[in-house]
Amino acid sequence: MKKLLSFLLVAVMMLAMVSFASAEGFSGEIKIWVADAVVDFTKEQVENFKALHPEYADMKVDVSPMGEGDAASKMITDVEGGADIFGFAQDQLARLVAANALEEVAPENIDALKAENDPGSVGAVTMGETIYAYPMTSDNGYFLYYDKSVITDPSTLEGILADCENAGKSFYMEINSGWYQTAFFFGAGCELTFDSNDEGQLVKMNASYASEAGVRALKAMIAVAKSPAFANGSSVSNAANAAAIVDGTWDAAAAKQAFGDNYAACKLPTVDGFQLGGFGGFKMLGVKPQTDDDKLAACDALAAYLTSEAVQLARYNAVGWGPSNLNAQQNEAVQADEALSALAAQLAFCDPQGQYPGEYWSLATALGDDILADKLDDADDATLLETLQKFEATCETYLAK
Amino acid sequence: MTDLDYLKLSKPKKLLYRMGAFFKAIPKKTGHFFANLGKKILRFFKGIGAWFAEVFSTFRDGDWKTRLSYLIMGFGSIARGQWGRGVLFLLFQTVFNVYMFFPDASKSGCFYLAKLSTLGTVETQKINRRTVYGDNSFFILLYGVLTLFFIAAFIYTWYQNIRQNRISEQILKSGHKLKTTKEDVTSLMDEQFHKTLLALPTLGVTVFTILPIIFMILVAFTNFDATHQPPGKLFTWVGWDNFRQLLSTDTESYGGTFRQVLLWTLIWAFFATFLNYFLGMMVAIMINKKGIKLKKVWRTILVMTIAIPQFVSLLYVSKMFAQDGLINAYLMKWGWIQSPIPFWTDPMWARFTVILINVWIGIPYLMLIATGILMNIPADLYESARIDGANAFQMYQKITLPYMLFVTGPYLLTSFTGNINNFNVIFLLSGGKPLSMELSGNAGYTDLLITWLYKMTVNDTNYKLAAVIGILVFVVLAVINLITYNLIPSVKNEEDFQ
Repeated sequence: MKKLLSFLLVAVMMLAMVSFASAEGFSGEIKIWVADAVVDFTKEQVENFKALHPEYADMKVDVSPMGEGDAASKMITDVEGGADIFGFAQDQLARLVAANALEEVAPENIDALKAENDPGSVGAVTMGETIYAYPMTSDNGYFLYYDKSVITDPSTLEGILADCENAGKSFYMEINSGWYQTAFFFGAGCELTFDSNDEGQLVKMNASYASEAGVRALKAMIAVAKSPAFANGSSVSNAANAAAIVDGTWDAAAAKQAFGDNYAACKLPTVDGFQLGGFGGFKMLGVKPQTDDDKLAACDALAAYLTSEAVQLARYNAVGWGPSNLNAQQNEAVQADEALSALAAQLAFCDPQGQYPGEYWSLATALGDDILADKLDDADDATLLETLQKFEATCETYLAK
Repeated sequence: MTDLDYLKLSKPKKLLYRMGAFFKAIPKKTGHFFANLGKKILRFFKGIGAWFAEVFSTFRDGDWKTRLSYLIMGFGSIARGQWGRGVLFLLFQTVFNVYMFFPDASKSGCFYLAKLSTLGTVETQKINRRTVYGDNSFFILLYGVLTLFFIAAFIYTWYQNIRQNRISEQILKSGHKLKTTKEDVTSLMDEQFHKTLLALPTLGVTVFTILPIIFMILVAFTNFDATHQPPGKLFTWVGWDNFRQLLSTDTESYGGTFRQVLLWTLIWAFFATFLNYFLGMMVAIMINKKGIKLKKVWRTILVMTIAIPQFVSLLYVSKMFAQDGLINAYLMKWGWIQSPIPFWTDPMWARFTVILINVWIGIPYLMLIATGILMNIPADLYESARIDGANAFQMYQKITLPYMLFVTGPYLLTSFTGNINNFNVIFLLSGGKPLSMELSGNAGYTDLLITWLYKMTVNDTNYKLAAVIGILVFVVLAVINLITYNLIPSVKNEEDFQ
């Protein structure tokens, strides 16, 4: 009898310990990788998080700088050595999920995440039906920065190129990038999206590049590339002679510096009568798969906090990253930002960037390089259509078999 | 053809004759090779037989100390008073046993060895939201290979341990004394000093060079790529599939791209080597010429390109040649061209530009080498040539060039090899661009095999194909080097200039 009693006692105590452990929080080490610009900001917010959640007060958090593109590559090559929480742009999501480098978002956070962030950003963190990351920004799009003293009317690309030619200046756009290229194709009415399943595999392609609209877009690109005022590039600080450049919010400060008092920003122009479109892009925080339940809970809590309304707004104020949180987007300061409002105007013509196979980006660069190398200059419509058919067919080979 | 007939031939004919002879000899050499191979295989099996015979006879004829040594390594040595040797053998056996039968079974050599044939079968699982990693194919392959090495080393040491016993018994039987541990140590510092010196380098080369090479070769036979990335996913053996993919004759796939990149790599290596060589020599001759003033100034100006790190200068120069870079801007400002020259966007221009810029950074090195050698050519050769009425070109052709080729032949060979793998210049200047839809696998028109390999590993994590390319680069280099090495004058006519 005594034995049974003591056994029961031990069992009860153990149960108590187990349940206590999960409420105890986590006191180990968590490694975070974020872009260089937000390292200090993230450190500050981690301290705020600890103050708000005493159960995590003893946790050691190490925040290191890691470019968003590099982060994904490093996570894929060495998941176990990588960061527990890391920031990346959505074009990396499919790769990360396919390599088992991303944990699903904790079920208790999903409803809030869906309700609080704009639909594009929620779509961007979803593979199939599963949500894999926490949306952080909704500003990864591009629009036009220009020099008011040179460009008289930024509404048509033909006009911009003429102004640039007259002034001996250049119009910059990185047309050999899969990201900027879609401005032409999507603008002309083409479609290129991929459906994914929950394992991060792309299983279906929806494409209409090989069409009249696609040929129209390609012809517009060829015509733009032919202009002596055209230069291929998308970084203000590397653009030696720019009067107009298609670039994103991350270069707002550099653009202000380059154009000085003549700085202006607006939505993309029209070309050949159609409005340029493009991608609406997003940045997000991901949590890697964990072998420890407590650590996973801590990572989820921290990631959810770092992407909450208050922190997104604070991030905008600190480094100017446009929030994906709907309430934060309504904030006065965010609404008054020149670059962000230009982006907002452009986003009306953009498609939220879904999932793309990694090889798509090099294929698009290949197409762009062929244009820049003047290989398509004298091509007739049939040849252009053939090129686009090949593009589509190659894209289709990237689907999971 | 007799020697005399050969000597009568003109230079190009001699070269043709030699090349003909080389190819004519191929069947004979191949025949020889296979005949030899047969003999070698026979000898190999005989050797194994003799080995077993020795192991067996030592056991049969040996005393109990020797026989116990078959189980406990070093026992015989310890029992006969050779402490040092015995303890080392025993230590090796202990380490080996611990490694093979490590208490944590999933970290033991036996585990890795057993899994080597499949590279792991246990998939990564999810328990609620927690991740439980399964087999890690990467470690299985790596440690599996390491285990094989270890086993080979163990068998060798075990055999040495037995031989040791046999020799000791013989020495004792003949009435001599065995070496004490102290004498062993002294001998390692004296007549066996080569062993002491070579122990560490041999171990280092095995672990840090040979092991990784074998590992990488094995990766070429697996499907290790972005979708089979440990620890989340397993990868496994696929035989020759990757080679088939890369060497396929289908122009649309990797096969066409591989041939294209290989061809450009060879063209690049040819121009980068010989253009630099002859232009560098020319510059050196010009500066060396009597009557040229400010020799040191010219040399210093050229050598400046060496003083600035290539990382800096190449990145800078690549910007200079950009569409909106300095060169195009000035050419347009002066009205020489109407629209920018597509230095980096047009395939042919890009290839031309990388070769041109490589000449700029390559000439100074060659100039320095050539200057040294030119000063060494005996002046009386030129004097007698002049008396015989030779002109400058004849003197260059008959004296300078043969002398240079003789001295720098091996240099040319290594620099050709170096240029095939000239990662820096291509990567920093063009990054392999421009890409094209006509090429697969992210390759560009200025990509060398080595930069393509880099892109595959770093950008696409396509390790399987990268490993195949690595092997093929080796094959290409080996073939070219073996042929040219036997043709260069420094090897052919070793005594010409002595």
